[in-house]
Amino acid sequence: MATTTLVETLTQYFFVIISAPLYSGILGKLKAMVESRHGPSIFQPYYDLWKLFRKVTIIPADSGVFFKYIPYVLFGIYSLIALIIPVLIPVPIYFTASGDFLSGAILFSLAAFLKIAAAINSGSNYVTLGASRTMSFNFLSEGTLITVFIAVSLLTATNNPYTTIAFLTSYSLENLSLTHMFSTLAFFMLFLYETGKIPLESSGLQELGMIDEGLNYEYSGKLLAVAKWSAYIKQYLLGSVLLNVFLIPWGLFSTSPLFLLDIPVMLAKWMILIFIVLIVETTLAKLRLFRVMDYLAIAFTFSILFLIFVEVIQ
Amino acid sequence: MNYIDSVVYLISSLIAISAFYIQGQEFIVSMIRGQSVQSVLIAVLAFIIAWEERSIDFFILGALIIVLRAFLVNYFLQKRIPKQKSYIYEGRVSLSYLFLVDLIFIVISVFILYSIAFSGIFLHSFLENSGNSSVLVFPITLFFQGLFLIASRRTTFTQIIGYVEEENSLVLFAMFLLPIPIIIEASVFLDVLALVVISSIVVLEKFTHEPVEELRG
Repeated sequence: MATTTLVETLTQYFFVIISAPLYSGILGKLKAMVESRHGPSIFQPYYDLWKLFRKVTIIPADSGVFFKYIPYVLFGIYSLIALIIPVLIPVPIYFTASGDFLSGAILFSLAAFLKIAAAINSGSNYVTLGASRTMSFNFLSEGTLITVFIAVSLLTATNNPYTTIAFLTSYSLENLSLTHMFSTLAFFMLFLYETGKIPLESSGLQELGMIDEGLNYEYSGKLLAVAKWSAYIKQYLLGSVLLNVFLIPWGLFSTSPLFLLDIPVMLAKWMILIFIVLIVETTLAKLRLFRVMDYLAIAFTFSILFLIFVEVIQ
Repeated sequence: MNYIDSVVYLISSLIAISAFYIQGQEFIVSMIRGQSVQSVLIAVLAFIIAWEERSIDFFILGALIIVLRAFLVNYFLQKRIPKQKSYIYEGRVSLSYLFLVDLIFIVISVFILYSIAFSGIFLHSFLENSGNSSVLVFPITLFFQGLFLIASRRTTFTQIIGYVEEENSLVLFAMFLLPIPIIIEASVFLDVLALVVISSIVVLEKFTHEPVEELRG
């Protein structure tokens, strides 16, 4: 039993860490195909990371300790979250008991805070501008994240995401309940924001639309590679929670050795999510920067309002 | 909660969302269309109740809502928009600010009112948790949302739409109270139509109402 749990834990952890950049590669390739371009390989994020790991790291003279070490701390925080929430195996593994849904949300918030603190610590005016931009949006997004997780916990009266998955797979009709539907909607809106997708953020060379990317501006070499890898893991974690707890809670196996089938199942689920994101990214225009706050206000309104509706209805 | 309950609650919440959609729009045409969609959703709810209750009254009510509210009121309002100016909109609408104030307003007013006045009402409803008046929270939300729309905007069009939304909330409220006297609905329709006709003239007279200008001597 203990061996199975250990194998499950290692499988989940290494799957998350290793496969995280792949989804961005697939999305990039599919997006290029929709736009009639040849596009980069789906392994391009891995090539980029490899390239950055071999490059020289330049540290700005005015930067502090936070700037140098926070990328590693972020990687650690996201690694811990990967062991707490059900991102591959639908039953508790080692470290799961160290936190619940809300602690997962608070760890995400902690990571966001530390990232901004590190960016400010870089001593660059441009990055500080990006940090203040991020802060002006994050007050709504972090609120939504925590509210959504509270809304989900209302379904089962417990804050344990594993119980929520078991409950939703056993009682499929509950997937149509108000709290579930609208927290799913709010979480999907949040997913698009947190992972910097097109209606909110256009990453790349158009620095005018940068939100989260602006924080990495002073990083280079190994530090940038770790920061980017953390961002990929964050995207995987948020996307997998969206898939496993909100959109498609079915299809995961927990018994040994069937849990190995979870890997192709998760890849298939991610293809569905990538397809949805692809439609959103290629059909919607990017919002003006100050409209991002409106978008987040709508997500926040959904999450709060339906949380309270559900309290009344129950 | 059974299947029908889930559908009724979902449609009711979509009606609430349509109210927020109208609140978030700047273009007058979009608001009028949003009001039409809201009316169609209320009609769908009427058809579901008609089917569940095997009641012809609700079927007629649903048909009336579609014909009068979704089309006629929409037609009258759209006709008031000058043909060359279908792009007219209300500028300086700060959506995030409005939504947050709206959220505070709705949460406080609806839930205080609901817990004091409506939570004890016993509904003779087809819903599984019959006797539980919780479904009434949706019409009350719609009502206050209409009120907030009127209070928060300056253009006369928007204020008329806010009024229509309030009337919609009354119809929705009446639908959940069984059996519904059809005369209520008829009177609401007359009210709305009369209002739309009168307000069409007001729109021509005065397009916007600035804050506190009515209070000047």
